[in-house]
Amino acid sequence: MDPSGPVQQLLSQGEKCVSAADAYLVQGRARVSRVAALVETETAFGPNFGFFMFGTKRMPVQGSDLTLVTVIPVKEDFAVEVIDDPSQDLLGSDVPVKVCGSGQVLTLNLPFGSKSGNFLTALRRAISIYTSQPPAEVFQPFAWLEKYELMTATADRSDWPWSGTGLDAMAAEIVTEGFEDNFADSLSFDDAASLASQQDLGDSEADGSGLEPVNVSRGGSASTMGSMMANPPSVREPIVKMYMLKEEAKYTHLKTFRIFAGTWNVNGQPATESLKAWLAKDSTPPDLYAVGFQELDLSKEAFVFNDSAREEEWVKAVTHGLHPEASYRRVRLIRLVGMMLLVFVRSEHNKFLSQIEAQTVGTGIMGKMGNKGGVAIRFDFHNTSFCIVNSHLAAHTEHYERRNQDYSDICARMQFNLTQPPLTIHKHNVVLWVGDLNYRLSDIEISEVKALIEKEMFWALMEHDQLKRQMNERSVFKDFKEASVNFIPTYKYDPGTDDWDTSEKCRVPAWCDRVLCKGDSVSAVEYRSHRELKLSDHKPVSCLFDIGVKVIDEDNYKRVFEEVIRKLDKLENEFLPSVSLSCVDLKFERIKFLEPQKKTISITNTGQVPCQFEFICKLDEKEYCKPWLNVQPSLGFIMPGDSYPIELEIYVDKNTAGRLNSGEDSLEDILVLHLDGGKDYFVTVQGDFIPSCFGSSIEALCNMRGPIREVPVARLVDLEAGSPSETSPEDSFSTLPIPKEIWLLVDHLYKHALCQEDLFQQPGLHSEIEEIRDCLDTGMPDTIPGQPHSVAECLLMFLDSLPEPVVPHQYYQSCLDSCTRFELCEQLMSQVPEHHRNVFKYLTAFLRELLKYQDDNKRDPKMLAMIFGGLLLKPKPDEAKRQNNQQTARRRATFIYQFQVNPYDG
Amino acid sequence: MAAGPYNYSYIFKYIIIGDMGVGKSCLLHQFTEKKFMADCPHTIGVEFGTRIIEVSGQKIKLQIWDTAGQERFRAVTRSYYRGAAGALMVYDITRRSTYNHLSSWLTDARNLTNPNTVIFLIGNKCDLEAQRDVTYEEAKQFADENGLLFLEASAKTGENVEEAFLDTARKIYQNIQDGSLDLNAAESGVQHKPSSPRGTQLSNDQPANKEGCAC
Ligand SMILES: Nc1nc2c(ncn2[C@@H]2O[C@H](COP(=O)(O)OP(=O)(O)O)[C@@H](O)[C@H]2O)c(=O)[nH]1
Ligand SMILES: [Mg+2]
Repeated sequence: MDPSGPVQQLLSQGEKCVSAADAYLVQGRARVSRVAALVETETAFGPNFGFFMFGTKRMPVQGSDLTLVTVIPVKEDFAVEVIDDPSQDLLGSDVPVKVCGSGQVLTLNLPFGSKSGNFLTALRRAISIYTSQPPAEVFQPFAWLEKYELMTATADRSDWPWSGTGLDAMAAEIVTEGFEDNFADSLSFDDAASLASQQDLGDSEADGSGLEPVNVSRGGSASTMGSMMANPPSVREPIVKMYMLKEEAKYTHLKTFRIFAGTWNVNGQPATESLKAWLAKDSTPPDLYAVGFQELDLSKEAFVFNDSAREEEWVKAVTHGLHPEASYRRVRLIRLVGMMLLVFVRSEHNKFLSQIEAQTVGTGIMGKMGNKGGVAIRFDFHNTSFCIVNSHLAAHTEHYERRNQDYSDICARMQFNLTQPPLTIHKHNVVLWVGDLNYRLSDIEISEVKALIEKEMFWALMEHDQLKRQMNERSVFKDFKEASVNFIPTYKYDPGTDDWDTSEKCRVPAWCDRVLCKGDSVSAVEYRSHRELKLSDHKPVSCLFDIGVKVIDEDNYKRVFEEVIRKLDKLENEFLPSVSLSCVDLKFERIKFLEPQKKTISITNTGQVPCQFEFICKLDEKEYCKPWLNVQPSLGFIMPGDSYPIELEIYVDKNTAGRLNSGEDSLEDILVLHLDGGKDYFVTVQGDFIPSCFGSSIEALCNMRGPIREVPVARLVDLEAGSPSETSPEDSFSTLPIPKEIWLLVDHLYKHALCQEDLFQQPGLHSEIEEIRDCLDTGMPDTIPGQPHSVAECLLMFLDSLPEPVVPHQYYQSCLDSCTRFELCEQLMSQVPEHHRNVFKYLTAFLRELLKYQDDNKRDPKMLAMIFGGLLLKPKPDEAKRQNNQQTARRRATFIYQFQVNPYDG
Repeated sequence: MAAGPYNYSYIFKYIIIGDMGVGKSCLLHQFTEKKFMADCPHTIGVEFGTRIIEVSGQKIKLQIWDTAGQERFRAVTRSYYRGAAGALMVYDITRRSTYNHLSSWLTDARNLTNPNTVIFLIGNKCDLEAQRDVTYEEAKQFADENGLLFLEASAKTGENVEEAFLDTARKIYQNIQDGSLDLNAAESGVQHKPSSPRGTQLSNDQPANKEGCAC
């Protein structure tokens, strides 16, 4: 699928995704799925381009899955280069591409095919358009990219939704603590994987299998249980790598390989001689060749365009000159003007080579031109990293300091980007440095030089060698070694002869051409020059090395790898968020109607990572706790070591009391406390509810002669279930006409409050209301306590908490419909079950009575009708939301009003 | 070039179920830490552990949920069965009651997981031979009748612990390979990492009569 559609969705108006391609970003050994895109916008000077790279969470890509991670303006420092890698030229394999700009270097692998080809073409076109425009300073073309650059600044972490998890924290720790120290060695680790990566080759096609990628769900979303996030591979990878590196000795052993390193300044001559005398002089064929040339091509074309006609013929000459008793494969060729470096490996070793990269550094005029400088090839051979440098340093006897500087420049500027972080020359296990280093002999006359050469007193001559002197002063090639020089100086001859320079400059002979080495287990076997080759004014030099290479021992590697994985698993388990709770089993005692009780538990983060907790819903439930329970807070974030109080409050109100009285529900709940990315804790909440007449049904209360507290719970449950007589222990007892609680309250008001102003309007006192409730529930004291307003409010509350209202739900709608006609209202009420009808009759009679004392109590009939209408007539709770508007309120009041103004006795 | 060699290609979710005290938490701990935790606190909730294993050359990350076994939590722990690729059902060979409850655990496991969930019966504490209360044979027969994999194990000595967890994974992997476990199903309990290699070398491990994975 073409990703440019999704990319386009993310762009602003006037910006266009010209081309986009799926790609893999190479980060060390990891390959991360990315989408690369070229975005265009129009400016006064023509189109302007930006290179965008997005992280993806899913394939195929959708706009919402893309996270912008990189933006690079297509300007002068922007470059795209297809990395030519002969070891990977299998048809159909991914195309490695390097994209640089804005100080970034990205290595991407584009899938083989025309789509990637089109993308590269579009990028090149964008570059050429840019170069044809006026300089950027003039028209500030990239302002439109700023908003995107801001996005990427914050995207780094959000790219993977796991930030803050254990491994992430570990990674951070490792990076800050130990990584720098291990850095020098870390490169060699890439070899550890070379075997595995070889096997991985060719499997990449399977990526398109259509399987769902790991669906990364962020844990802790309120509805999911047992959800757990995976650690991102991109985080785990470098950690495994680091641990493996530490253990390297356990799974590698040194095996010696013979390496030929040669250098020759060919003075711009054509390749007319066989190179066998130089390259294949010994009986044993070397395992690896590193062959460096200088002044391969002195033409202007080579200098200006880095184009060389000579390259091909010299490569051919080298290929033909390699040892005939082994077959070799070219690993890489790199050339900068006249400096060329070739690496060959015996075919059977080729598969143990990986991470091959070549780079150049020019140190010529303006610090840039390539007539002087160095070229280098790095690779991993088994588990050892190699860097081979071929350099041509500044000329002229007196300029040795300039040569030292060239060396430092090459070291500072040579950088390999295939690995993350990028590597420099010195971060390799083995460095071989060949070249025309151009150091001469100082403080000695030419005649004396020639005399010492005559006597083969090279050690005496060496005292005057600038390179030796500079190295002894540690001014150059620090930590490099050189085998002892036991051959005649290699410079300067009359071309075609073995005669010293006879030109008018009459150069003093010198050992310009050298081979140096650095690294453990590197020993020089044979260091020599090859006088048989005469076409140049230099003689070729070679040094054979025996180098101990860390070869992976498969079984041990596997074992160590397993150990490391185990260790990481262990760490990962240790880094899982974890808390302790001060109590997981809360018992509340004597919970009464409308009396809240609170308990506090404290949650302590006992883990090693910050942790987010949340009470989550159990399967198929919509709330994480029962309606009578309230948890504050229900989610939060705690740092390691910190504690957090959580308040749990039980509060039984009219909505929950009914089910608790009837035994349909009990004060029992199990809360699930979920840690984001970790385990769950169960918190049990239990309470014993003191049943109350509040919330009990009219029917049940009519079946209770005594106060509710004196009724056994089992009997209460039966009563609420509507089986009054079967199990009744008091058969003689006939039911009451109305609940005695209503009678007690109303009778109290009748006796003491008929003349009370503002009755049913002024609120009562909480404490008195509780006393009255207890009195009703226990029968103590004998008379209702409290002032009239409290008693009145109690009555209203009592009516409000009836599970089935006085006018049962099923009559509600008909009552509203016929509220304007008293006969109909009366008729309806005659159908209502007896106890309910009794209560209704009793209450409306009381209202009529109350209104007789209007002069004293100043009660407005409409106001009373409004209050009682809302309590006696109620829709079913689930319908209440839809219905509770002014119109129904007025109709309910009208219904009650009918009974206030008309005589009624059922 | 595929993902680095250190990544796992699948995530399998496991649950461990069974009566309280049969050693579920100890089994998990033995598997993840290779240690016996004698004074393991009661699980009040759901513990969690993870480990990467290798099956047929594939790295697989196991996410293991260890549930509380108390009866009163039963309703809540049922929530965790969903999406499990493997269920380890544990009883204690020294306590017959824990064995007698297996049918009820099995009913839950069957009802609450998908039909392809691999159920592995573990008779734990096999180090306590002297106190044995359930014979190997009868448990084996129970397992066979119900199509369960079965082993007696000891979280204390570590005997067969590794095997139980790995055999379960092998069976799940085999179900993936022969196509009977549909990874795209929401609750397969398996997640596949797309960037990892799969294919050629794996099919070598397949029995000849099984057609290679069609996915
Ligand atoms: N001898 C023996 N004791 C065990 C074994 N596994 C667990 N236990 C003990 O059994 C008790 C309960 O173990 P635990 O893992 O907490 O059981 P859970 O409730 O199923 O998680 C603990 O005291 C353990 O020490 C075992 O294999 N052998
Ligand atoms: Mg447990």
